[in-house]
Amino acid sequence: MGYKRKKSESELEPEIENDRKKPMMRKEEKEKEILPSTIKNKEKRSEVHAKLKHQKKLEKRKKAKARDAAEKRALELGEEPPPKMVPRTIENTREFDETVCKPDDEELFAGNDADEFGAILKRERTPKVLITTCRFNSSRGPAFISELLSVIPNAHYYKRGTYDLKKIVEYANNKDFTSLIVVHTNRREPDALLIIGLPEGPTAHFKLSKLVLRKDIKNHGNPTNHKPELVLNNFTTRLGHRIGRLIQSLFPQDPNFRGRRVVTFHNQRDFIFFRHHRYIFDSKESKQTDSKGKEAKDAKGEKASQERVITRLQECGPRFTLKLTSLQHGTFDSKGGEFEWVHKPEMDTSRRRFFL
Amino acid sequence: MPRTTTLECPGCPSLRALTFDALGLIKVIEAKVSQGGAPRVVERWGELDSSKCVLAASINDRKDDPLLAVARKTGMIEVLSAINGDIRFTVSNANEDGPRPEDDAVVGLHLFAGQKLELTSRSCTLLTCTTKGNTSMRSIEVTDSPAGSASIGSSNTWSVCSSGNILCSKVDGSEKCAIFGGKGVEMNMWDLDNCTKIWAAKSPPKNSLDIFTPTWFTSSTFLSKDDHRKIVAGTNSHQVRLYDISAQRRPVISFDFRETPIKSVTEDLDGYTVYVGNGSGDLASFDMRTGKLLGCFLGKCSGSIRSIARHPELPVIASCGLDSYLRLWDIKTRQLLSAVFLKQHLTNVVFDSNFADGEVKPSVAADLPLNADQIANETEIRDEEETLPVKRKKASKEDERRKKKKATKENERNKVKEASKENNGSEKKASKENEGSKKLKSKKSKRSKCEIHDES
Repeated sequence: MGYKRKKSESELEPEIENDRKKPMMRKEEKEKEILPSTIKNKEKRSEVHAKLKHQKKLEKRKKAKARDAAEKRALELGEEPPPKMVPRTIENTREFDETVCKPDDEELFAGNDADEFGAILKRERTPKVLITTCRFNSSRGPAFISELLSVIPNAHYYKRGTYDLKKIVEYANNKDFTSLIVVHTNRREPDALLIIGLPEGPTAHFKLSKLVLRKDIKNHGNPTNHKPELVLNNFTTRLGHRIGRLIQSLFPQDPNFRGRRVVTFHNQRDFIFFRHHRYIFDSKESKQTDSKGKEAKDAKGEKASQERVITRLQECGPRFTLKLTSLQHGTFDSKGGEFEWVHKPEMDTSRRRFFL
Repeated sequence: MPRTTTLECPGCPSLRALTFDALGLIKVIEAKVSQGGAPRVVERWGELDSSKCVLAASINDRKDDPLLAVARKTGMIEVLSAINGDIRFTVSNANEDGPRPEDDAVVGLHLFAGQKLELTSRSCTLLTCTTKGNTSMRSIEVTDSPAGSASIGSSNTWSVCSSGNILCSKVDGSEKCAIFGGKGVEMNMWDLDNCTKIWAAKSPPKNSLDIFTPTWFTSSTFLSKDDHRKIVAGTNSHQVRLYDISAQRRPVISFDFRETPIKSVTEDLDGYTVYVGNGSGDLASFDMRTGKLLGCFLGKCSGSIRSIARHPELPVIASCGLDSYLRLWDIKTRQLLSAVFLKQHLTNVVFDSNFADGEVKPSVAADLPLNADQIANETEIRDEEETLPVKRKKASKEDERRKKKKATKENERNKVKEASKENNGSEKKASKENEGSKKLKSKKSKRSKCEIHDES
């Protein structure tokens, strides 16, 4: 019978409030502390909850208004505005990782010189990529592969047939390929990517998801044949650095900036987002005049008072996300391979711990 | 609130380990109880050169002038002092007419501890084994010239296998026999004095599906230091096998462990436990009398374990591998004591057991001056232990008290207890007092009696 009493109490509350304040204040405070989840009556509970939410919303709006007003006042008065608060994000509160590459680490540089991609990245070999699939058919696989062929210069596609992957690695070595990409299919959808560095490079196994083909992107552009610029974001740890170099070894090391084509691999929370854009620089005058100069590259205009250079992007090519599941030392060897990094569930101890 | 499960790593006891990595560096890691038991890299020897990648290492862990032998990818074998890294001498493993060292890499290396021949103390004996099976045993005299050149005394070279590649080799505790095994090479044991093969294994019969897995041994060790007849070997198809020379040529016990090749096997001092590490970073301990898994060492190791080392005295093992971490584990609890990030792929780890941190291990001593030293040291130890987490204090205190119980001299006991009483009086930490009170309660009566003796 508790709920009936509470109902009556809340009804009585506004009447009695005016008469006796002090003891009532205590009662009000007590009622404010009642969590909606302890009220068993659904109607009453949803009413209390809605009230609480509405109160919170009003408070938040009040605070935001006060903040804006304070900033405006400070700007008008010429003083410094109060510092902007920075929201707490998972990236901000990432656990400290001792494997993050430091900028002055000579062992890192020596390791880079000595590792398997050193030859390609020092421009001693030009990248030549072999793309193939797994043995099963898939509906979107061929379309994905044709798009990959347009993204990666000097890439060749060979049908899989029934060759063993180890044999394929041998053939590729004989024909001087520098990397091998295998698009793996599950349930008629491409869902994993194996990137094998050759001749004895590491094998990275990625999980592929959220694949969007070019025809499904609105207002997509068509890629040209210029060598693309490569943007690798946020590969901070040693493992991330190694994966970054693996991806770098797929693309030629001399990008053609005039071609205005960029391929981005952005790492966030261990997911690598792949995007392919064509870009163009515009100089945008102040908002009133609105004149757009065409092809005004690097015109970081300080001459006019309100001229800014903005980059306009047009997405072309596929869009997908990758997540690293394992990195094997040596070429693909499912039985005899030794792993440099393999994801184990016991490693996920914290929501703020990432490996790449 | 961030949802995290934090695993507190208790510190390690005082120890010193040397790790060898793929860039040819030798890093010395020391952990001191006085500094909270966190291991740190104190020295780094060698230059950054990947052609000098360390392939095999062996330590001669004696009290005076401990030596370390290192085999590099260039075919050079260096012998250094284990204390300060000075190169004593360098020997090339390559023959003039044999294959180049890059094709025929060194797989096994052993620096003999005992004196093989009646030479001066400035000589040492090395056993090296390469992938093509060329094994040689050289004894080298160190001359006094500053260039550190060495004259090769006597050397024996023989071929261990005719076909196939050797992947693992080990010399037994008495240094009379050595085992070799590899891809296409069955485990075989050779007598080192006569350079003859005394035993060869036979592969197990085809299994029920008539499938014959090719021979591929990736790691091997002797089960006990004193007994050269039992061998444990790990294969590429994730099997661990126990061979007994005196029984039969086929394996006595054979069992599977997970799904990647067994990259390293190390025996424990008790003669029946082995520690097994595989290609995906799983480390486990097995009882070889029954073949039973005692337990896995869980500690987020994500790279292949290339080498495991057991500390000769403390119950600690170290594992290092391709994820560039050196991890120290407690044997009994299978808990991770600490992990050190070492930036390169690690190939080997060895322990240096002659590392003292100013801690005197409580030993049965007769003299009074020694007692005074012991007390002073033990008070130091107590103070140092304040910085460690509570778990560790209790364990070590228990150990120390047990050790004291075993000490037979009454004087020692009295003085130690007096010291402990003083300590308890001066310390302010409640936990210590509680500990002290708990443990001393049982001894109160005894102590009072002893004190009466002393005072009288």
